Amino acid sequence: MNAKPLIQVENLHKWFGMLHVLRGVSFTVQTREVLVLIGRSGSGKSTMLRCVNFLEEPSAGTIQVGDVVVGCNPGVQPDDKDILAVRLQTGMVFQEFNLFPHMTVIQNVIEGLTTVKKMPKDKAVAFGEKYLAKVGLLEKRDVFPIRLSGGQKQRVAIARSLAMEPKVMLFDEPTSALDPELIGEVLDVIRELAYEGMSMIIVTHEMGFAQDVGDRVMYLENGIIVEEGLPPEMFKDPKDPRTKNFLEPIKKYHTL
Amino acid sequence: MAVEALSPPVGQPPDPDYQMGLDLMAFQQKQRRILSIKIAVVWLVLLGFVISFLLFIEFDFAYVVENAWFIIKEGAKWTIIISVVSIFFATILALLGALGRLSKNSIALGISGFYVSLFRGTPLLIQIYVIYLGLPQVGKSLALLGASLGLPFLSTVGDWFILTPIQSGVLALSLNYGAYMTEIFRAGLQSIHHGQNEAAVSLGLSRWQTIRRVILPQAVRIIIPDIGNQFIAMQKDSSLVSIMGVWELTYMANRMARKDIKFMEMFLLAAAAYWVLTIISSWLEGLLEKRLSHAYER
Repeated sequence: MNAKPLIQVENLHKWFGMLHVLRGVSFTVQTREVLVLIGRSGSGKSTMLRCVNFLEEPSAGTIQVGDVVVGCNPGVQPDDKDILAVRLQTGMVFQEFNLFPHMTVIQNVIEGLTTVKKMPKDKAVAFGEKYLAKVGLLEKRDVFPIRLSGGQKQRVAIARSLAMEPKVMLFDEPTSALDPELIGEVLDVIRELAYEGMSMIIVTHEMGFAQDVGDRVMYLENGIIVEEGLPPEMFKDPKDPRTKNFLEPIKKYHTL
Repeated sequence: MAVEALSPPVGQPPDPDYQMGLDLMAFQQKQRRILSIKIAVVWLVLLGFVISFLLFIEFDFAYVVENAWFIIKEGAKWTIIISVVSIFFATILALLGALGRLSKNSIALGISGFYVSLFRGTPLLIQIYVIYLGLPQVGKSLALLGASLGLPFLSTVGDWFILTPIQSGVLALSLNYGAYMTEIFRAGLQSIHHGQNEAAVSLGLSRWQTIRRVILPQAVRIIIPDIGNQFIAMQKDSSLVSIMGVWELTYMANRMARKDIKFMEMFLLAAAAYWVLTIISSWLEGLLEKRLSHAYER
C-alpha cells in the first residue's frame, strides 16, 4: 500500500546509566495505522514511544519520521533542527496531561501555534476553537485547567496536540491517571481519531480499547518486542509463552 | 473531584440537617474572633511595656515629633529609592545567574557558580568598601597606563570606576542580593514539574521558549514570597550605605542623634520607619501574590 512507512525505527537502544532498557527494537508505522503497545510496567514501551519524538534521546539507532531521518550513536548527538522537525510531525499526549496551569484552555491550545509556528493570534484562536470543538470542550475555552476534571484536561491536551496538525499522534498511557468513570470520554475521542484515519502509536493498559482501535498490537518485555500481530488473534491466541503469561490474568477479569 | 464537591448542589433535595452546618460555621467563626481579640490584647500589653520603659528613661517625645518629618521625608526617600533600584537589578542578575547555573554551557556554569560563591561568601559591608573605596584604584592604574601608552581614552574608562556613594551602594546591594536570589530563582525553576518541560518541547518550543513561556511564569509565582522576603531584608541592609554618607534613614538619624545627644529618640524613630516600610512591603507582596494566583483558584 505505502512505499515508505510514516515511522521507521531501526535497531533502537536506550540505556539509563548501565540499565539497558531498549535492546535493539525495530518497528514501522504506516500512514493511517494505529499501533498499540502493551506490556508490563518497566518493559520499555513508554521509553520506546518517548524515543520517537526525542523526549528520551536514543542511545543508538535510526529514527525516521516522515521525511526526517535521525541517526543516533554513543557520542553522536542528534541535531536540534532534526529533533524539532520530528517533533513538529508528532503530537504527544501524556499520562499526567501536563496542561500549562497558568494559561487558559484556549491559550494552552494555541501556544504551539503562536510561539512555534508564529501564526497570528486571531488565526490561531480560530484554529484552536476548531479543535476544542472536536474534543467537545469549546464552552471551556476561557477557564483555567484547575477547573477541569481529569477527563476534560486530557481532552484539552489532545486538542493542544492536534492543533499543531501532526502526522502522527503518540499516546503515553492516556487514561492511566483518570478516575474510572472519566476514562470513556477520553477513549471516545481517541477512537474517533482512529476512525478518521489519524496515524497513532498508543501505549495503554486498556486491553478492550486496544483490541477495538488497534490495527496492530505489539507486546514488549525487557526491552525487546516479543510478539506482534493483529489484535483479535493476538489477544485470543498469543503465540509466545511470555505474551500468554502477560495476557492470561488480564483475560480472567475482562472479556475481550 | 473537589471541583464537584465545592459547587452548590443544584437540583438536589434540601439537606434536613442544613442548620447543623450553619451552627458549626458560626461556632468556628466565633472561636477565630476570640483568638484575634486575645492576640490584640497581648500586643497592647507589650506596647504598654515599651511606653512605660520610654517614660522611665525620660524619652523626649516632643523632640521626636519635631524632627520626625524631616528625617522620614529625606531619609526614607533615599532608602526606598536605593532598595527599589537595587532589587530591580538584583532580580535581573538572579535570573541570569539561575539560567547560567541550569545551563550546560561551561562558560555560563563557571561564571554563575563563581559569582554566587564570591558574593554570597563575603560580607556586604566589605563589598561596599571595595566598590566605593577600592575601585578608584583601578581607575587610577588605567589612567596611568593610558598616559604611558599615549591612549587618553583609557583615562576616561578609568573614570567609570570612580562611583558616587549612591552608585556604589546600589551596585553592592544588587550584586550581593543577586547572588542570594540566584539560588532562589534556580530552586523555583527546578521546582516546576518536568512534565511541563516535556509538554512544551513536544509542541516544538525551543529550550529558551519553554523557559520564557512555560517554566518562568510558573516559577515566578512560587518565588514571589521569597523575593518579597529579600526585598524586606534589603531595605534594612540598605542602612549599610550610610557609612558612605548617603542621606538615607540611618545616616540622618545617626547625625541628628549625635548632634543633639538624642540617641534613643532618633534610633527608635529610624527603627519605626524601617518597620513601617517593611510592613507596607509585605502587604504589597501579598497583593502581588494574590494577583498571580488567579489561575490557580477553583
